[in-house]
Amino acid sequence: MRAISAWLLLTVAASAQQDPLEKGIAEFHRGAYAAAQASLDQAPDSPQRRAFMALARAAGGDCEAARSDLARQFAETPDAELRRLTGLALSQCDLAREHYDDAFAVVTRLKSLYPGDADVLYQAARLHMKAWNDTLFQMFQKAPSSYRVNQISAEIFEIQGRYAEAAAEYRKAIEKNSSALDLHFRLGRALLLQSHSPQNLALARREFEAELSLNPNDAVAEYEIGQILLAGQDAAAVQRFERAASLDPGFAEALQALAKLRMDAKQYGEAIALLEKVVHLQPGNEAAHYSLMMAYRNAGRAADAAGQQAVLDKLRQAPEGEFTDFLKRLGDKAPPQ
Amino acid sequence: MTRFEIILLLLPAACATAADFHVDFHNVAREAGLTLPFPNGGDRAKQYIIETTGSGAAFLDYDNDGLLDVFLVSGPGGTNRLYHNLGNGKFADVTKEMGLEHTGWGQGVCAGDFDNDGFTDLFVTYWGQNVLYRNREGHGFEDVTAKAGLRQDRTRYNSGCAFLDYDNDGHLDLFVANYLQFDFATTPKPGENAYCWYRDLPVACGPRGLPFDRNILYHNNGDGTFKDVSVVSGIAKPAHHYALGVLTGDFNHDGLTDIYVACDQTPSILYINRGDGTFVDEAPMRGTAFDDNGNALSGMGAAAADYDGDGWLDIFRSNFSDERETLYRNRGNGEFDDATLSAGMALNTRFVGWGCGFFDFDNDGWPDLLLVNGHVFPEVDRLGTDIHYKDRAILYHNNGKGKFLDISESAGPGILEKHSARGAAFGDFDNDGNVEVLVNNQNEPPSLLKQSGKPAGNWVTLKLVGVKSNRDAIGARVRLTAGGRTQAGEVRSGGSYLSQSDLRLHFGLGSAQRVDRVEIRWPSGVRQIAQVEKDLPINRVITLRETR
Repeated sequence: MRAISAWLLLTVAASAQQDPLEKGIAEFHRGAYAAAQASLDQAPDSPQRRAFMALARAAGGDCEAARSDLARQFAETPDAELRRLTGLALSQCDLAREHYDDAFAVVTRLKSLYPGDADVLYQAARLHMKAWNDTLFQMFQKAPSSYRVNQISAEIFEIQGRYAEAAAEYRKAIEKNSSALDLHFRLGRALLLQSHSPQNLALARREFEAELSLNPNDAVAEYEIGQILLAGQDAAAVQRFERAASLDPGFAEALQALAKLRMDAKQYGEAIALLEKVVHLQPGNEAAHYSLMMAYRNAGRAADAAGQQAVLDKLRQAPEGEFTDFLKRLGDKAPPQ
Repeated sequence: MTRFEIILLLLPAACATAADFHVDFHNVAREAGLTLPFPNGGDRAKQYIIETTGSGAAFLDYDNDGLLDVFLVSGPGGTNRLYHNLGNGKFADVTKEMGLEHTGWGQGVCAGDFDNDGFTDLFVTYWGQNVLYRNREGHGFEDVTAKAGLRQDRTRYNSGCAFLDYDNDGHLDLFVANYLQFDFATTPKPGENAYCWYRDLPVACGPRGLPFDRNILYHNNGDGTFKDVSVVSGIAKPAHHYALGVLTGDFNHDGLTDIYVACDQTPSILYINRGDGTFVDEAPMRGTAFDDNGNALSGMGAAAADYDGDGWLDIFRSNFSDERETLYRNRGNGEFDDATLSAGMALNTRFVGWGCGFFDFDNDGWPDLLLVNGHVFPEVDRLGTDIHYKDRAILYHNNGKGKFLDISESAGPGILEKHSARGAAFGDFDNDGNVEVLVNNQNEPPSLLKQSGKPAGNWVTLKLVGVKSNRDAIGARVRLTAGGRTQAGEVRSGGSYLSQSDLRLHFGLGSAQRVDRVEIRWPSGVRQIAQVEKDLPINRVITLRETR
């Protein structure tokens, strides 16, 4: 419950008064949860008293006693800050009791009410992490020989940047279930992440081809093969990208790859059409805006190119917020003249 | 795409072999007498970013004896050194007698005759005070930094530099890039914040997380002094860049020298000279700020040449590992396309590239390219991956059709030696028609890469002497016609990574037996055409003086 008190410390002014309500709130802020409960006991009944009593109980570890009041306050209080605090405490209680469904429901509501709130996002992250860990434990305990165990192990290795170990786990998974979709693709991807040596490129291509033999409509596998062919200056790359785009007309990366090849061929009109489609699909796609800017420039459409540069500049502005402030403090700031 | 994230390949490809090329580079530094190491921070671990960026190398003929001498910049624990070319393949250390002993966090070096006395001067950049050395007619160097008005009012992390005559008044001005603001007291230690990690290793912090600084332009007053015109010229305006390598050139053919700056983890800068004493950064729209996905890479060094023979200067930039090198092809109007992939240069993504330069090693008339490598973090060796603190160089052969082939593996032991290399300078130190490469290796003796055999093709080297223009002819552009082809070259100070290459221009002639025409556009505006006589010998150095 330390976290709950920390939230309150940040948000409520603490000045000890003789009034038992204010005294109880101040004691709560000091972490004196038992004293806070004693003081709040003496305060006249009010929604605020009930809310802080519940918060103090929860902070003291007595979620059982606190939960119904927290739930009521979270649902009913018109005070936005009190609703945020009781929601956070409620989700923490549900998480402690391992009632994940209840905790997810509260956190989902909190995220919709306070979408940019760091405390809410932190609580959501903790909840997902705990649920992930518990589920993973169950998986290893109940289905240790499943290919899924190898697959999830490989994915974890990937996250850790241990690509050789990831590839080894994917191979074990394929050995157990050679017809499972995605395994060949993921193995190919791990090989590419491990190294771009010619050997790894060839091995990766083989895996992507294997994925396509299982699922001929896999646009991403087509795209990856296109990339490998492009690396080798193989003109067949264009067919792969075209097929990827035809399998998935909204596949932005494939459209972009095609557009670059059109640009290389000085077919600026075609490149522009492809890239305009991409930025329509993905207005925040910086790479596409950049390519479109270059395509307009090369086509002699200076005003349109300038327009894309403006879009790009706007997209690249650091979002204002705590992290940006953090960066500024670290030194990402304009130099002295 | 919703399935899961796409791997954006860095697009390597199989290395070509060089069976058809008789290329055999050896490191002859030891035989040449270049045996002393040049310290630069930790060799097994580095605490601060300042240990990662040094230092540069230079080829210059300080005594006008027609032979290139060697200058190497050092970090603390050593001194910069000048080696005199004895003419027999050996060099003698003349640092002390020439007055060039200096310690500190030396970074870059550039050369130019700033006082037009006929002797090339030296400028050395530091974290700390830069130093301008005036060449006293080849008999010694005098530190004239203060006298010239170049002392700085605070400690700056100066990096690349170049002399240039941006206003074509006949006096060399000076551009100095600044990397970032650094001091030992406030910079976090490895692992202390999010910017102090690399692949789960605690490493020297930065550049991200460290304050930006801005670049500097000094105007030559013509009386031995300079004036800081950074703000009024617009040079100071780009504010969010970590600037390293400096490359000058007239990229848009307007007769004015522009400045390209390779920037680390931030968009690279292309200062376009507007001809009124001001510059504006037009890199994003001209296509030289980013890679072809619009991403800012970790630019280190930069080189320029007309690699495709269209008469326009193209740009190469070396970058960090897990990034492609970048080749920008000039479209003919000072606008560039990223040609890295189509030129076959997206091969090598495991290297951190530094010094780089175009040079025609086989004298076939097409500029080839060499870059030297070495990771910034010695700690990277603990990872056991294919990325190393010390690594080999990369040699690309230009096939004359817009493509480069990586022939490193078969280009001789000199190319394959592993060092944590930084600066690289290019020049024919023995005037045999083979261009050699001088490399400054961190905490090791330098490398001097030389081919064992004779040049495959004919060649000519032009030494330009300015009269109305600056004496070293920096900024002069040459179009040389031989064997039915016309090649372009430009005299340049600085370039590569914090380094100075030969101020003379080397041209491979292939099988051509004569030079038909040499056209020079001098910085003064004078256009000079040398109709070469039939019996003019090739395979030698020719001096061309500016006509009035």
